[in-house]
Amino acid sequence: MAHLFDPARTTHALILYLAAALVASFLLLLALHRLLGPRGRRWLVVLVTFVGGLFFGLEWFYPAHGQPSKNFLTDWIEPVSNMLAVVGAFTVGLGIYSLTQVHGRNVLRRRIGWHNSAAFFLAMVAMLVFTLWEHYLRLPQPTPKLVPWPKGVYEVLFNGIFMPLQAATFSLLAFYIASAAYRAFRIQTAEAGLMMAAAFIVMLGQVPFGAWLTSALPEVGSPLAFFRLEKLGEWVMSWLNTPAQRGITFGIAVGALAMSLRIWLSLERGTFFSEQS
Amino acid sequence: MQPPPISFWHRAQQIPRHYIYLLLAAVVVWQLLFPIRLPIAPSVATRGVYDAIAAVPDDQLILISTDWDASTEAETAPQTQTVIEACFQLKKRFCIMNLSPPMGVKLAHDIAQKTAARYGASYGVDWCNWGYKYGYDNVLMAIAKNIPKAIGGDFYGKPVSSLPMMEGVKDVKSIGLVVEITGLSGLTEMWIGLIQGPYRVPFASAYTAVMAPGYYPFLDSGQIKGMLVGAKGAAEMEVLVKRPGKATDIMNVQSWAHVLIIALILVGNAGYVLARVRAGGRER
Amino acid sequence: MNPELYILWATAIATLGIYTILYRENPISRLFEHIFVGLSAGYLVASTWTLNLEGKWWRPMVTERHWYWIFAPIVGLLFYFIYSRRLVWLARLVMGLFFGTAAGYLFREFFPIYSPQLYACFKPLRPGAGLGWAVLNNWLFVIIVLTVMTYFFFSIPHEGRIGRPLGRSSLLGRWFLMIAFGAMFGNTVMARMSLFIGRVRFLLTDWLGHYLPWLAGRGL
Repeated sequence: MAHLFDPARTTHALILYLAAALVASFLLLLALHRLLGPRGRRWLVVLVTFVGGLFFGLEWFYPAHGQPSKNFLTDWIEPVSNMLAVVGAFTVGLGIYSLTQVHGRNVLRRRIGWHNSAAFFLAMVAMLVFTLWEHYLRLPQPTPKLVPWPKGVYEVLFNGIFMPLQAATFSLLAFYIASAAYRAFRIQTAEAGLMMAAAFIVMLGQVPFGAWLTSALPEVGSPLAFFRLEKLGEWVMSWLNTPAQRGITFGIAVGALAMSLRIWLSLERGTFFSEQS
Repeated sequence: MQPPPISFWHRAQQIPRHYIYLLLAAVVVWQLLFPIRLPIAPSVATRGVYDAIAAVPDDQLILISTDWDASTEAETAPQTQTVIEACFQLKKRFCIMNLSPPMGVKLAHDIAQKTAARYGASYGVDWCNWGYKYGYDNVLMAIAKNIPKAIGGDFYGKPVSSLPMMEGVKDVKSIGLVVEITGLSGLTEMWIGLIQGPYRVPFASAYTAVMAPGYYPFLDSGQIKGMLVGAKGAAEMEVLVKRPGKATDIMNVQSWAHVLIIALILVGNAGYVLARVRAGGRER
Repeated sequence: MNPELYILWATAIATLGIYTILYRENPISRLFEHIFVGLSAGYLVASTWTLNLEGKWWRPMVTERHWYWIFAPIVGLLFYFIYSRRLVWLARLVMGLFFGTAAGYLFREFFPIYSPQLYACFKPLRPGAGLGWAVLNNWLFVIIVLTVMTYFFFSIPHEGRIGRPLGRSSLLGRWFLMIAFGAMFGNTVMARMSLFIGRVRFLLTDWLGHYLPWLAGRGL
């Protein structure tokens, strides 16, 4: 049993083991699907959820001994974590499938704007192909100025189109926040006035102009130094914002812990457990 | 469609958005072309990052987790640049990696390559890139126990254990400091909960200005040794590493952008208050 | 091939194409949005293989012949049964595993993250010991934490002997929260402006500056 998970000695043995594992997994899943009814399946899901949480939680709380201190689960943490990380990586196709479905339908049915969906597919395939191609070119490091054309195309796609599009899209927020601040920020109550005062102090205290505005005040050794905008802004962040954020954090922490307990014990209903089960 | 404004003060509340956009663009372009340079003084939080880098023992690595992408590039790229500059200047070996999103690791890699060329540093000896590792908590748990197995291949696909600087690097004890540079919430909690807290690994961070207020409590409790706050933090770090760059440019312009926002808010509120006063006076 | 000039022009065209949306919704910006999503999807798939699966799964399984790594795609591909009505329970199986492990991680992370936060609330409140004005800051800190926390107590009505002081404390907490939100707004403005300034800086000093050297020299 201890040698069951040893590496295969030859390529033929590896192929045999892989095939056996695939067949065994298929048969197991088929058996579970056939033998378990809706209640059985629900209980299996509950059990798997519980064991998943129990493993990591128990390893943390179970008494540890020795140097370095560990318990009977500690040595399993690293292989299990690695396995889970790789398992999660296979979910990349879920989003791709969804996008392909939506845009594929647009193209096949020639809906209005189908050429945009065609551009989506072209961009996706181009990026996929040239990223892989560039990877397997295995160019020397540091990369020379003159590069093979696939690497050049990859750089144009990544640094020339992909990154600027992302940066530009998010930079639009500057315009929207300027417009929204002008239109919506109305001081109708004292609380709103307080919020605005804090915002102005922080906005001016964070920038060199604010420091220049109050540069006539002494920097140290006088009570007036507190009123320098950069110091005032720092004080607002450290002594007014920090405790408020901490109060919010405690509320979130307790809520998150309660929610995690409910999920671990499968007490939650809704999207995870469908109405049928 | 709104009825036409009645008075000047009503009109002051309804400046068309395109004029506001043009005004913002004009202010930014004006300051970029004719900058009014004002001094920038490093804050205590920024000094904390620099001092944390300087305090790393020579036999340990600095792990820079560059969890950002182009959407926050204006803030996080200069932060990454200055942290890497500090590592090279203080002769500390470092590794960059990325938990999410994947595009960030190439951006950080490009920055590290250009900076390394200036300092004559070699990949694999003075710095390396562990690449993008999907898995969040799982990756951090695995790194804590066995770094070569958790990382597998580096950015180029080579086994990370084959790099000269990774010789003898086994687990989290080989890491002297973690610097998290990110625009995503939630990753810091993972680092603190799984690496900084249990293994007492020093932790410093660099955030976008949006998320920084939420992490001041960690700075106050000492869980974070230092923090760069947006482009301001990057500009302050540029002062410390004595290489003014993109962040300093941005901060020069930022002042006037903030003044514009404040002016717009005041104009809007002045219009609101005075329109109401006038309407109240007319009723009497 | 030297891609630098192509990158420069592609960046400028992409940036200006997105900015056309500031005038109004138009076909150019929509096209660039779709291109962006396509590039993002393609890069995600490629980088998942090159930066993750190749080194952490394929090489251990094929080169080092650790055959048990075949179970990773078997379990991972169970997620795709979410598209099958009959077999969707298999997807729930693996989702349950990940939900459970996420809960387990929170149990591990809770104390290392939040207990230092709790300790840090206990600041020295007695004047003296060289604190000076700092003791006022400490008092303010503790009062703000407590009043903000009472703002989130929804299960006790703000009436009666206990409820009324709680209500007043909650009101004070709300005032302090507004100060914190103002600080967050100030920081948000700074962040958004930085993003736009970064883009304009590229357009002026890198793109136009490539052809007009006096523009490139305006920066540092």
